[in-house]
Amino acid sequence: MKSRLILLPVLALALLGVVLGPIGAKLLGFERLIDAPAVHLAPQKIFAIGGFTVTNTLLSAWLTCIVILLLFGLGSRRMAMVPGRLQGFLEVLVEALYGFIRGMAGERYARRWFPLLATIFVFVAFNAWMALLPIYPTVGFKAEGADHVTTHLLRSAGTDINMPLALALIAFVFIEVWGFRVHRFGYLREFFRFGNPVQTFIGLLELISHFIRIISFTFRLFGNMLAGEIVLFMMTFLTFFVTPIIFYGLEILVGGVQALVFMGLTLVFAVLAVAPHEGHREEHAEAGQH
Amino acid sequence: MLSAPRLAEEASGIGALGIDPWSLLAYLVTFGLLVALLYTLAYKRILGVLDARSGRIRDSLEEADRVRREAQEQQEAMQRTLLEGREEGQRVLAEAREAAERYREQQATQARAEAAQLIDRAREEIRQERDAALEQVRSEFASLAVSAAERIIHRSLDPDAHRDLIDEVLAEGDARAGRN
Repeated sequence: MKSRLILLPVLALALLGVVLGPIGAKLLGFERLIDAPAVHLAPQKIFAIGGFTVTNTLLSAWLTCIVILLLFGLGSRRMAMVPGRLQGFLEVLVEALYGFIRGMAGERYARRWFPLLATIFVFVAFNAWMALLPIYPTVGFKAEGADHVTTHLLRSAGTDINMPLALALIAFVFIEVWGFRVHRFGYLREFFRFGNPVQTFIGLLELISHFIRIISFTFRLFGNMLAGEIVLFMMTFLTFFVTPIIFYGLEILVGGVQALVFMGLTLVFAVLAVAPHEGHREEHAEAGQH
Repeated sequence: MLSAPRLAEEASGIGALGIDPWSLLAYLVTFGLLVALLYTLAYKRILGVLDARSGRIRDSLEEADRVRREAQEQQEAMQRTLLEGREEGQRVLAEAREAAERYREQQATQARAEAAQLIDRAREEIRQERDAALEQVRSEFASLAVSAAERIIHRSLDPDAHRDLIDEVLAEGDARAGRN
């Protein structure tokens, strides 16, 4: 009975949203209340420091960094053997990420790789989650003569291709540096295989695939974050109330999943880079036989 | 009202994405700083506490194992002691029973020996009493015989001078008594 009392107003609100939105406007023949959202890929300029332009996505990234640093700084300020709530939350997060990394990379690399990989996860996830706050789509500046916000103060950094590209470059350098560090010049034999045309071709493909990762890393995160943003805008535009909440829930999940995927793929590629590759495997096998 | 800004996209193609080297550099620096700060401020401490806690838990488990092992050993030792005590008790009890039995046997034997001695002594006394009585009877009989003979022959006989005669009479008397 009590749940019905809550459900009925919620359904009524959802229906009202549909009626007042563009669908209702089209069906009932009145002028729609809001303009259709426009998709624009590039971030918007907020201010400039000298010749350097600060965009709303970069500002958002800095804000996210501050929040992350405050959260982690406060949570780990006084570490106790019996943790409080915030310390407990951070410990659970760190333990889960560390366990994930250790499970794939082993104890040998987990401790060294953890800071970068965990930060990738935290940075991507918090950027995505913070963009769900209502201040992101509402606070901004109006252009002259405009009746709505034309430049948003904050926008999810994941929707700016520069951020995923920067993370992809970091991941690429991280993977290749570790591959080179472990195998030294033997790592290059993975790409430059001479003597057999088929092997040479495979090596070339391998080399290209490593560089392709930068693009795949970048566009996977960029596409997902941007698509999520667009879906939220469109659902809010179409239905006004209630229904967008479902998509907000979905976006919380997508943010976490994308962060995990980015971190996980970096980890997997790093593990593959440090694992003994074909030439080394043969050497290991020969050494094993002797 | 909720609305995304409608901006004219001047660039087209890949340029519309807004790839900017300076923004890219800013993100790289921002992320690098974030990694460094998080590592310094948080990760080291949190991982340190997690390590310390897992070490403490490991130590506690080992300690608990050690205490359990010790308790088990003590329990086994106690049970062994208890068993040994019980066996010792049973052995002592058996020895006591055996000693009691031996003592009883000894006492019985001693009692039997004493009884036999008493009987022997009693027999000896009876024999001595009988011999004394017989001696007395013989004496009395001798006196009577002398008196009777005096009366018969009317003269007094010297008992010492006629001792042989008296003994002869007594021997005859004994011989008769033996025949009877």
